[in-house]
Amino acid sequence: MKIPAVTPTTLLAAGLLIYPLIFSGPFYLDIGVTFLLAAISASAWNIVGGYAGQVSVGHAMFFGLGAYAPLLCYTLFQWAPIAGIPFGIVFSIALAVLIGIPTFRLTGHYFSMATIAVAELIRIYFGTWDLVGAAIGLQGPATARGWWDLTFRSELPYYYIFLAVLAVLLHLTFLIEHRRFGYYLRAIKAGERAARSLGVPVQQIKIKALILSAVFTSLAGSLYSVKTGFIDPESGFGILVSVQMVIIAALGGAGKLYGPFVGALILIPLQTATNTWFGGGGTGLTFILYGGIIVLIARYEPGGLFELWERIAPRGWRRKNAS
Amino acid sequence: MLLEAHKVSKAFGSFFAVREADLSVDEGEIVGLIGPNGAGKSTFFNCLAGDTVPTEGKIVFAGHDMTDASPEAHARAGIGRTFQVPATFEDMTVLENVMVGAYLRHPHHNDARDLARQTIELTGLRTQTDLPARSLGTPGRKRLEIARVLATAPRLMLLDESLAGLTPTELKEAIGLVRKIHEKGVTIVIVEHVMEVIMTLARRVLAFNQGHVIASGKPEEVVRDEAVIDAYLGRGRHTHRRRST
Repeated sequence: MKIPAVTPTTLLAAGLLIYPLIFSGPFYLDIGVTFLLAAISASAWNIVGGYAGQVSVGHAMFFGLGAYAPLLCYTLFQWAPIAGIPFGIVFSIALAVLIGIPTFRLTGHYFSMATIAVAELIRIYFGTWDLVGAAIGLQGPATARGWWDLTFRSELPYYYIFLAVLAVLLHLTFLIEHRRFGYYLRAIKAGERAARSLGVPVQQIKIKALILSAVFTSLAGSLYSVKTGFIDPESGFGILVSVQMVIIAALGGAGKLYGPFVGALILIPLQTATNTWFGGGGTGLTFILYGGIIVLIARYEPGGLFELWERIAPRGWRRKNAS
Repeated sequence: MLLEAHKVSKAFGSFFAVREADLSVDEGEIVGLIGPNGAGKSTFFNCLAGDTVPTEGKIVFAGHDMTDASPEAHARAGIGRTFQVPATFEDMTVLENVMVGAYLRHPHHNDARDLARQTIELTGLRTQTDLPARSLGTPGRKRLEIARVLATAPRLMLLDESLAGLTPTELKEAIGLVRKIHEKGVTIVIVEHVMEVIMTLARRVLAFNQGHVIASGKPEEVVRDEAVIDAYLGRGRHTHRRRST
């Protein structure tokens, strides 16, 4: 058997695999799980927002649909929450198509504003809709009726499930990067008019990207609600959910495979730290943190930290990475 | 007949940028479009490329009506175009830029890459293959645009001032490149300010002024045409002191 070469990727994978064994306390596990979930949603956002440059600030709509579906299935039919995941995905695809067709005719800020508007509309609607628990939200099974409820007391199983999903998503993104679809996405980001003149079916590619992105964002939402066993309009469709994806991706490097990963690696511990140190004022402080990061990225590193690293990393290391 | 534009007009509000322009291009020709700034040649050119839908008239390419077709449909049909201001994909490398074009007819990564490499070789960009497009100067970008279009295997190439702003040496090389592409069987329509380019490349020229085609024929005839001289230099020139030429 061939022994795989030690690359940054394998090191990373190994590090993530043994992290829970080293930091086994519930506090550190929780950070790990939160980090993975943030990395999944930001990586999902990255497909359409990063690679294709269509900056959606309303991805919470997919996250929320994905989050509500499992708990709704449990509440209505007493199904295992995971049985609701496919429904969340199907609704998210439908929503992606519905939104993509009219809004992808808009460019730049108009697309971003349209996505914010739709996400907010859904949030407000869910807040008054009794079927989905209105403002109170929905709850999952309090105690597991069987393993299939995926209701564990420890965070450890969630950690490895989330890690597997992240691995699949990053691998898929890697494949896209090296195929026509990925080249077309980057061409669209760089210049739609030029891309069209070279035969890139821009509209169709954008919608495909949005669908793919929506599927994984929805899955992230489902994982979130299955784990926490609770969802309400704010934690599902809130603007913070959307903004967090954008910030994490932009911080690490939008349109880069590991960009959202790096962004989550920095932002999540930072967020946890501020929440722990300053206690109650949590959400307000998160907003300030986000605002500060937006200003810093926009002013100094529009390409994100990943690009900064590529620029300042020693040449030798970079060449080794490239080969 | 490869391309036929029949009474093409384009109005913005009540202003006609192009009025009833006719053009027919045979397979294997090089046709030049000239005219002073604002004469309507770029608008007409964009109608041909599918970027602008004409208000009136009809454009037929290889037997297909392309009047209302999208730019991407034009590319698929075999009409390639460059932009007046180079629109290269700045963050992508030269190879990746050309691959975007190559993917049109070669969906598989390796085929597209091989074709892109050949095209880069042909257009003389080999030493810049792995550099990002943004590191290229204007001549390099214009070359890259041509390479990208060439990789889509067009039957007709529309060049929008692709040779403007080059030094005499670069110009000579660029003319050589256009010739090389033409020899490969690509028909060319070229918009150009630089008369030298038109005179050496085009066998037939259309002159535009104020939206109208005011003259057409062999380049050496068109440049002597009274209406064309008037358009460029103004009608009152005989009554004033002669301008130095």
